[in-house]
Amino acid sequence: MAVILDENAIGEAVATLVEQIRATAQRSRVAIVGIRSRGDEVAERVCAALEEAKIEHDYGMLDISLYRDDLSHLAENPKLQSSEITFQMDGAEIVLVDDVLFTGRTIRAALDAVTDYGRPARIQLAVLIDRGHREIPIQPDYTGVKLETARMDHVIVRLKKTDGEDAVELVTTP
Amino acid sequence: MARKDFLDIASLSREEVDLLLDQATPFKELFTRSVKKVPALKGKSVLMLFYEPSTRTLSSFEVAAKRLSADVIDLDVPHSSVTKGETVKDTVDTLQAMRADYIVVRHKMSGLPRAIARQTRASVINAGDGAHAHPTQALLDAFTLKEAFPDLSGRKILIAGDILHSRVARSTSRLFLKLGVEVGFLGPGSLVPRTGPEGITRFTDFDEALRWGPDAVYLLRVQMERQEAQYFPSVHEYHRVYGVTQERFKRIRGEGIYIMHPGPVNRGVELCHEVMDYERSLINQQVENGIAARMAVLYWLKPQTDSEEVNRE
Amino acid sequence: MSLLIKGGEIAREEGAPVRGDVLVENGVIKAVGQNLEAPEGVREVDADGKIVAPAMFDAHVHFREPGQEHKEDIAHGTEAAINGGVTGVVMMPNTSPVIDSAAVVGAVLDKARQVSRIPVYTSGCITKGRTGEGLAGIDGMRNLGVVMLTDDGDPVANPAVLKNAMEYATSFGMFFASHCEVPELSGPRALNEGKVSYQLGIKGSPACSEEICMDRDIRLAHATGAHVHIQHVSSAIGMKTVRWWKERGAKVTAEVAPHHLIFNEEDIGEYDTHYKMNPPLRTLEDNAALLEGLKEGVFDLIATDHAPHGEFEKGQDFVSAPNGITGLETALVSLHDRFIAAGEFGWDLIVKRYSAEPRRLMGLDPVAVEEGKSAELVVFDPAGETTFSRDFMRSKSVNTPFLNQTLKGRVDLVVRGSEVLLER
Repeated sequence: MAVILDENAIGEAVATLVEQIRATAQRSRVAIVGIRSRGDEVAERVCAALEEAKIEHDYGMLDISLYRDDLSHLAENPKLQSSEITFQMDGAEIVLVDDVLFTGRTIRAALDAVTDYGRPARIQLAVLIDRGHREIPIQPDYTGVKLETARMDHVIVRLKKTDGEDAVELVTTP
Repeated sequence: MARKDFLDIASLSREEVDLLLDQATPFKELFTRSVKKVPALKGKSVLMLFYEPSTRTLSSFEVAAKRLSADVIDLDVPHSSVTKGETVKDTVDTLQAMRADYIVVRHKMSGLPRAIARQTRASVINAGDGAHAHPTQALLDAFTLKEAFPDLSGRKILIAGDILHSRVARSTSRLFLKLGVEVGFLGPGSLVPRTGPEGITRFTDFDEALRWGPDAVYLLRVQMERQEAQYFPSVHEYHRVYGVTQERFKRIRGEGIYIMHPGPVNRGVELCHEVMDYERSLINQQVENGIAARMAVLYWLKPQTDSEEVNRE
Repeated sequence: MSLLIKGGEIAREEGAPVRGDVLVENGVIKAVGQNLEAPEGVREVDADGKIVAPAMFDAHVHFREPGQEHKEDIAHGTEAAINGGVTGVVMMPNTSPVIDSAAVVGAVLDKARQVSRIPVYTSGCITKGRTGEGLAGIDGMRNLGVVMLTDDGDPVANPAVLKNAMEYATSFGMFFASHCEVPELSGPRALNEGKVSYQLGIKGSPACSEEICMDRDIRLAHATGAHVHIQHVSSAIGMKTVRWWKERGAKVTAEVAPHHLIFNEEDIGEYDTHYKMNPPLRTLEDNAALLEGLKEGVFDLIATDHAPHGEFEKGQDFVSAPNGITGLETALVSLHDRFIAAGEFGWDLIVKRYSAEPRRLMGLDPVAVEEGKSAELVVFDPAGETTFSRDFMRSKSVNTPFLNQTLKGRVDLVVRGSEVLLER
């Protein structure tokens, strides 16, 4: 087990992400939608940066538990949290935000969830970390940092508000 | 931990109750979306097994299951008891052939859902058995009152009517007690058991019960056959002594007491006409919340069907 | 057959067991004493550390024959009795057809003579068809040896009918056994009215349903000079009712069933029909009062109310499942396990209440382990264990809460006359 990203490195990754999204957000109003859990915290940081830059935007949170394709295989269904989508979804410019992009299945579920709220004009994807190993054809539009990992590795993200500290660990399975 | 069955309130822990009440909220939020359906139970089937007629509870479960994308099978069963001599096992064997993942049972025999649950891999949900339990009603009741009082502990609820024959009174009072709510029972002496649950204040006088200071009055539906069985002399007398009369309603409104009722209401018996338009009547919320609470239960349960069926083949 | 039972503790009706050897020759107890020598050709049985007791007698069993042989029959019922150390039984008449005439009594006793290795007695109905109306063929039954009249399973609802029957049959030297209950108060006759009936949501049968009828029947017996035997008393006030009437000189005897001493309504748990019987299991306080009544002698005898039912019948929902549990095979061991081993009472109580008194009730001589008496005894190992598995059971039915449980104590040997009925 090794810490591969510390607080500074995470800060840089968020900054990289903000930098890219900012360009889009300046052209047209975007809605930053974080995927629970931790995607919402990354989204909050992105929003804070946009706010500082006085770029108007919308913010939302999405719990995608009900859209997962693996519920039948779980001994216990994930605890459901509230989704908060207060803006008009029809015609919106959505930037979905998650902490780690891995197989892509979470994003597939999030796309289904978003479209059940309405018909957005466009959906883009921003991820703090892209660790590869996709199982479905989904690619990010914005990436904070890319990590080289093996398929069976675990990438554990801890963020201040959710977990008390900023750190990313890589657990390799021998 | 997830459970296979949802049979009564007694066997639930406080943590499980809190989880279910928390989970009902996100489900209720779905009702404001343009698409009210989610794919969580896609490909699963929910068998409705109602041996007692009940349009309201049946539809509530159907809507809940359909909003979770499950297939609903409404089995047309005779609205009578299991035929004498037919054992629970025989019934279950018939059901197994349907390969349902969830079975929602209502039956006039107390304990029948548990007997079914013991013998099937499907998740069994008790939709009311005899005078024993109606746990999803209890859940929606608690969820509804929680919307009025986010912290329920220390609140007081008065449950009024035919406690003796009421599964709603049993399950709802049990759940409220678990949540730290003080519970009072009010009704004719012939319909409020003397040897009942501990920790419940027993009233036979409505005005005295109101002096106790309830935050909500929960009126149970009066079954007309109780009058025939001489539990009380007449419906008029019942209304006068144990119903929310116009006079009592003034007092209830004055004190801002909430009104609840599991439906359907007998106007002029449990309550007077005016109560239906009362701003603190939670009766309509109870109906809407019933769907959310039942979705939360369906989402929480884990049938044994999937993996084990596969393993056997 | 001759046996020398060496070194056992001989249980008696009065006083603690005393150590001694028992010599049985040709069905008779030849000698009881210390250091007896086995005569030539006599087999020795080592009973060191074991109890040698008079064999038991059960005055309340349902053998379901004729008519419901899928539950039990005389052949299996009597073998179940032997398995539990019981060598005499009184059948209840609620068979199908009911035992209400000389013809049916004759048929039952004939069958028993063919298939049973122990004596079988039968009671007869009070009313024709056990309907509560019209007297049964009382004299015809008496001529075949019936002494106990009962509509067991139900009370005689009309007190005038019972009063007439008492006045009529008492002059024949017969007595009455009462199943006490006011049906209108009993709901579906499923369980006690109280905490558990509320929780389970089933209308309960209150103890007063039994107590009112009990008082009524004793009062009628007292008024008519009849002897009434109160069956399966289940409540504290029921016990006190019997005590009160005994103190006033009424000719009343009473029995208590092992299950009413051992279990209470809480054992029903989540609708376990193995705890469903009538009268129902009541409360912990009632258990204590019944035990007190047994020790004090308010209860003249212990009787099991052995009531076999098929598994599919007991497998129904709680209200539809029939009342009753089997008892013959479990009574002695369970009473030992719960009470004797726990120091609540001694073997003298068991001998008096489950062997001597029930025989006296039926006008029979007790079967003490004494020199000169006919041999009718059991050897019981208090250190042994019994597992009530399906294999162990000889009854046709296994509807007992003790199914697959292991209890302290074991019936090792049952002897009647010159026959060893059971040896483990």
